[in-house]
Amino acid sequence: MQIGFLLIAIVLSVFAGRLVQLQAIDPGSYAQMAAREGRATVVLPATRGEILDRNGEALAETVDGRMIIADPAVTKKVAPELATMLARRLGVDYFQTLERLRVEGSRFQYVARQVPASKAQKVVADVRKKFTDDDGRPFAGLSTERDPLRIYPNDDVAANLLGFLGTPRDDGSAQALAGLETSFNSWLSGKDGEATYEVGAGNQIPLGDKTVTPAVDGRDLRLTIDRDLQFYTQRILQQTVTRAAGQSGIAVVMDSRTGQLLALADYPTYDASDPYRYDEGLYKSSALTDVYEPGSVEKVLTISSLVDAGLAFKEQKFRVPGKLYRQDRPIGDYWDHGTLRLTLAGILAKSSNVGTVLAADQFRRGALRRYLTAFGLGQRTDIGLGGETNGIVPKGAAWTSQVGDRIAFGQSLSVNAVQMAAAVNTIANGGVRIAPSLVQGAATTDKGQQVGSDQAATTRVISADAARETMLMMERVLDPEEGVAPGAAVPGYRVAGKTGTAQRVGEDGTYDGSTTVSFAGFAPADDPRFTIYVVVHSPRAGSGGGSVAGPAFSKLMSYTLRRYGVPPTGGKPNQTPVEW
Amino acid sequence: MSSTAAQVRRLQSVAPRVAQAALERARLTVVPRPRRTRAPRVPFVAFVSVILLAGVVGLLLFNTSMQQASFRATALQGQATDLGAQQEALEMDIQSLREPQRLARLAQEMGMVIPSTPAGILDLTTGRITGDPVPASGDDALPLHMPGPKKPAQLRRPADVKVAAGSRTDRTDRTVRTDRTPQRTERTPKRNGDGAPTGDR
Repeated sequence: MQIGFLLIAIVLSVFAGRLVQLQAIDPGSYAQMAAREGRATVVLPATRGEILDRNGEALAETVDGRMIIADPAVTKKVAPELATMLARRLGVDYFQTLERLRVEGSRFQYVARQVPASKAQKVVADVRKKFTDDDGRPFAGLSTERDPLRIYPNDDVAANLLGFLGTPRDDGSAQALAGLETSFNSWLSGKDGEATYEVGAGNQIPLGDKTVTPAVDGRDLRLTIDRDLQFYTQRILQQTVTRAAGQSGIAVVMDSRTGQLLALADYPTYDASDPYRYDEGLYKSSALTDVYEPGSVEKVLTISSLVDAGLAFKEQKFRVPGKLYRQDRPIGDYWDHGTLRLTLAGILAKSSNVGTVLAADQFRRGALRRYLTAFGLGQRTDIGLGGETNGIVPKGAAWTSQVGDRIAFGQSLSVNAVQMAAAVNTIANGGVRIAPSLVQGAATTDKGQQVGSDQAATTRVISADAARETMLMMERVLDPEEGVAPGAAVPGYRVAGKTGTAQRVGEDGTYDGSTTVSFAGFAPADDPRFTIYVVVHSPRAGSGGGSVAGPAFSKLMSYTLRRYGVPPTGGKPNQTPVEW
Repeated sequence: MSSTAAQVRRLQSVAPRVAQAALERARLTVVPRPRRTRAPRVPFVAFVSVILLAGVVGLLLFNTSMQQASFRATALQGQATDLGAQQEALEMDIQSLREPQRLARLAQEMGMVIPSTPAGILDLTTGRITGDPVPASGDDALPLHMPGPKKPAQLRRPADVKVAAGSRTDRTDRTVRTDRTPQRTERTPKRNGDGAPTGDR
């Protein structure tokens, strides 16, 4: 009897000891071990937002993808056959795959990454069926893991703006490498969620413990870009640049009333769906990142400022000599002439540097700079893309009288193409500058900046009358007899525009004899809807803004007017005399 | 004082009577046991057992069906994922079919071009055509492809090179199409160095 009690006591104290061990000493790790058993945690992936054009067409979208992983310990035996099949079905390199399927001492090798899910599943299912082991069990050498795939269905269309995603990092997060993908990375990414639940035999146990942190999907980014117009613009730009044997080119199509960019093309550019074949230097929009001297297109700003300041009017008479001898070197025009008797409209229509300098002499010091700054030159447009340049408008002591003279006709200052398009658009929009926008609505960049068409600020730069008078003068530029750019005309429509042929600063930092030719204009002139700006850098010698950029402008404007169903206004073009 | 004494006396005379009554009341009798109505035991037991059994079976069935539903949920989830992937694949196909590049190519193969002049506009209310429409011409054809990427210099393929008879091979004058490896490139004559076509699109 007593021995019995003793035995019971011994057994109970063993139990008590174990209890103390479990409960008092490190209970947490045991609880964790228990929890891990039969528990599964899955990441609920957040879907990256799409980048859409203004009509909702996808420019960049994410599809469910898989990485295919091989276990060389298993695949070694059937490597050649398997590699053949994978090479054929997935388009992977046969020899590389073969090598990977045979790696010694490894149990994890990538076979392919970012394969569309349905394709990957089909291939893996077929492999499992085909390479069954001796007992007839499905092949265990291949498995798949989630590996989302970003696709750019339009290849090079808007690639300069979109940027692209590189191979995801090891933790599965996206790696944005350029463009909007980078500047709006956190806006687009969203936040992964997580679900933890109890499982039995691969199925969730009903009524079991379950905690879910839902994923927050990335938000879509809707652009103001019109995909089809962007395509056409890129193609026309390419044609223009290659025909003129130019180095590069930019084309901007802007809605005059809202400042929204309908197309922003750069040439050369790259293919966002296959970026690594292209030079890294192309992963940008040179319309924003590169500055250049605008040349005569800027005369529009000088002259409209003069008109606004009440210092000039379109019929104002000037005697324009062939050369103007100022402090350092003579200023001349692109064509040789004796003293001409030009009106202000004639100065603009014939793009006379000398005439513009004479007219600009009426400015008080600092006045032109104030106007140019108000037109938006020298400040970033902040439309949401990184790497934008400010452009340079000399100030203070740097604005000497020679510099001032040259600035009046568009040299000695530098701009980016979007700035310049927005500046010319100010005249189209009745003297009110509207900040250009690339993003529709509002969105926040990774730097915390709010951008978008909702934010587009408007500022009055010149009076509506001054804008109208400038427009009338700009119409003379396209006059078949008197103007320099009849090729830019759009049959049936009133068009106002201005050519530019600027000396270009080469790679060594000096004027190297190459030029930047451009054309900026808007139509219909008397009720502007679109402002288009075409720039070609370093075209074949002898090319001018009217002969190279003008026809491109005409095609783009025709297409845009047709696409948006803008009827001609029916008015007759202005006939202000150019000479007196 | 005298009144108090009188009261006590009256109480004394009353007390035995009260006690008597209490006594009488306290004389308890056994409550007559009512005749037990014997409820029939069997139905009750049967009833409870049925409830119990039904509960257990119900619970079992419920659990089983929950499990079943869970299996089904997992299977359906898998199916949904598959179908989602399939839908995405189909959407991708549509995307690539709708790509402007492709449409432009197909249209141009059929002899269509995008006109570079504005269209005439027909006003439906007045029936009047405004604008200055001009028929499109073949000159409006667009370049459909970007020029291919530039290859690094060492990967450029030189043009077909004529190798003089007997210079390296014993075969007579023939055209050697050098491949893209740098070693082979070095063998080609110098004049084919930089200015040679790249073989790009």
